[in-house]
Amino acid sequence: MLEIKNLHATVGGKEILKGIDLVVRDGEIHALMGLNGAGKSTLSNVLVGHPAYTVTEGSVIFNGKDLLAMSPDERSHEGLFLSFQQPVEIPGVSMVNFMRAALNAKRKYQGLEPMDAGAFLKLMREKRKFVELDNKLMNRSVNEGFSGGERKRNEIFQMAMLEPTMCILDETDSGLDVDALRIVAEGFNKLRKADTSAIVITHYQRLLDYLKPDVVHVLIDGRIVKTGGPELAGEIEERGFDWLKPES
Amino acid sequence: MNPTSQYIDFFRSERQRIEAGSLAVMNAQREAAAEALQRLGFPTQKVERYKYTDVAAAFAPNYGISLAAASAPQLEEALISRYGTLARVEDDAITALNTMLAQELIVVHAAAGEHREHPVQITNTLRATAPLMQNRRLLIIAEAGADVQVILGDRAEAQQDFLTTQVTEVFVGEGARVALYDIEDTHDRCHRFHQVFAQVAAGGHLTHTAFTLASGVSRNQTDVQLVGEGADVQLLGCAILNGQQHVDNNTLIDHRAPGCTSRELYKYVVDQQATGAFAGRVLVRQEAQQTDSVERNANLVCTDQARMWTQPMLEIYADDVKCSHGSTVGQLNEAALFYMRQRGISESEARMLLKQAFASEVLSEIPLEALRQRLQMQVEKRFRSCDDCKLCKKE
Repeated sequence: MLEIKNLHATVGGKEILKGIDLVVRDGEIHALMGLNGAGKSTLSNVLVGHPAYTVTEGSVIFNGKDLLAMSPDERSHEGLFLSFQQPVEIPGVSMVNFMRAALNAKRKYQGLEPMDAGAFLKLMREKRKFVELDNKLMNRSVNEGFSGGERKRNEIFQMAMLEPTMCILDETDSGLDVDALRIVAEGFNKLRKADTSAIVITHYQRLLDYLKPDVVHVLIDGRIVKTGGPELAGEIEERGFDWLKPES
Repeated sequence: MNPTSQYIDFFRSERQRIEAGSLAVMNAQREAAAEALQRLGFPTQKVERYKYTDVAAAFAPNYGISLAAASAPQLEEALISRYGTLARVEDDAITALNTMLAQELIVVHAAAGEHREHPVQITNTLRATAPLMQNRRLLIIAEAGADVQVILGDRAEAQQDFLTTQVTEVFVGEGARVALYDIEDTHDRCHRFHQVFAQVAAGGHLTHTAFTLASGVSRNQTDVQLVGEGADVQLLGCAILNGQQHVDNNTLIDHRAPGCTSRELYKYVVDQQATGAFAGRVLVRQEAQQTDSVERNANLVCTDQARMWTQPMLEIYADDVKCSHGSTVGQLNEAALFYMRQRGISESEARMLLKQAFASEVLSEIPLEALRQRLQMQVEKRFRSCDDCKLCKKE
């Protein structure tokens, strides 16, 4: 369970989050909607511990532990995963070596021995299939020469490898055509376990059609201004955000 | 005291012993070398090609020299008459000092059309129990159409002060191929000066790789003349530095004939308080039309105290050429670092992977599979044992 209380955060001295309260229970999917600049990506960056963001107030408890006190890699080991909006290229580091380093770091954290090469490659092969990711990409450098769709599928593939309990999908639908969106969303649905929770950041209804959120939040100017059921997403699709803006 | 005098005085007083076990062709050049050294003195940092390395300081201490007692076998006159023809004592103090004192000559010779499947490996391991100076000499001759690979390994097993000079002359005949790998894996009490002088005839290929895994103060000078049409050279370098280490690669590619190609790639990872220097001059003479040349130097500077000097130079006197040169100095990609950490990879491991990835571009250019894999392992080991890497300290 993730429990965010009165979270304030700044980037470059500018306050972006102005008091976020949010509780995500095990197995729940929450959608986070809002205009550009509302603070959606800031929230996801703060949760995973990006060094450019400073938390000035509030707390985040993740499965009973103080999330904000952990390093980014510890947060990952504890089960937090961010599907990046713009996954970076890492020239010279192959997908295989990258995934092996990530998986074995997690296993070490859990007190397990590193996975042997055969078992590791078998696991890679299994998980790749869910997002229809070509084997050729595995010997390439991370995200180097990947198409936009391949990068997003690669994010979901990594999620499948690391089996997180809390996934943040930051505009995973951006830049995807209809088919790619379906592959990514269906891949996510197949790969998540019953107790996996997610925060899905999106501008559009179409990703939510696949992911079927339990709760929808609207974020405006660093605050959650409205929370509702899945029908709220449809309403926003029709009416936009203006009607939700607080009276000034 | 003029620091050259201790060497010249030593030569004058021990000349007989130095010459006793040595080749006539080497002995014949000693006097001229001594005179040149006397005249030149050790280069100060005002001398352009030596501006990044303090030579006089390196040669100031009093090192011991071990004189060989072995006698020289008879070598073909046609071979050894090439000794000292590329490495000219008149212009360079280090070459002069080496020519004055070197006793032994290693000759690698590939006859016309001879293809050597396995590389010739020459490993020098320093084990002395007192401060030691070594002056080494290597002559590589590949006759027309020959193919030879040479791996030089420089190691130091004793924790001791060492000073080595090496002069290597390489003759690449018409259509011949020579690959020379120079791998230094010593420690911070080693000073090393390696001068390579190479000449590539028409249609010949030379690859020279200078890999500095660990060192104290290292200066590698590589001068290549492309003298026949269609000659080709590839210069590769990789230096990994931390602590107070200093690596200086200074190259000259001299395009003297038309239609020649040259490729140059040097990469440095400079950590802690280390200093790196790269100066590469590509000279395209008027007669060298249709030259195709690319020079690149890329550097990772990991701390505020680490320093990198880079000086790519291109000098063109022909009017129909394709040449580029450039250099970059940067830090590790923060976005990539964070991406890796989000996936659970610790900061030190992520940094190590990125540094390794940076060096891998040079490694991937090495066609010798076994050597490439070994170097890859050594590079990883080297990065893992850096003082700033918490990973191995934990274990």
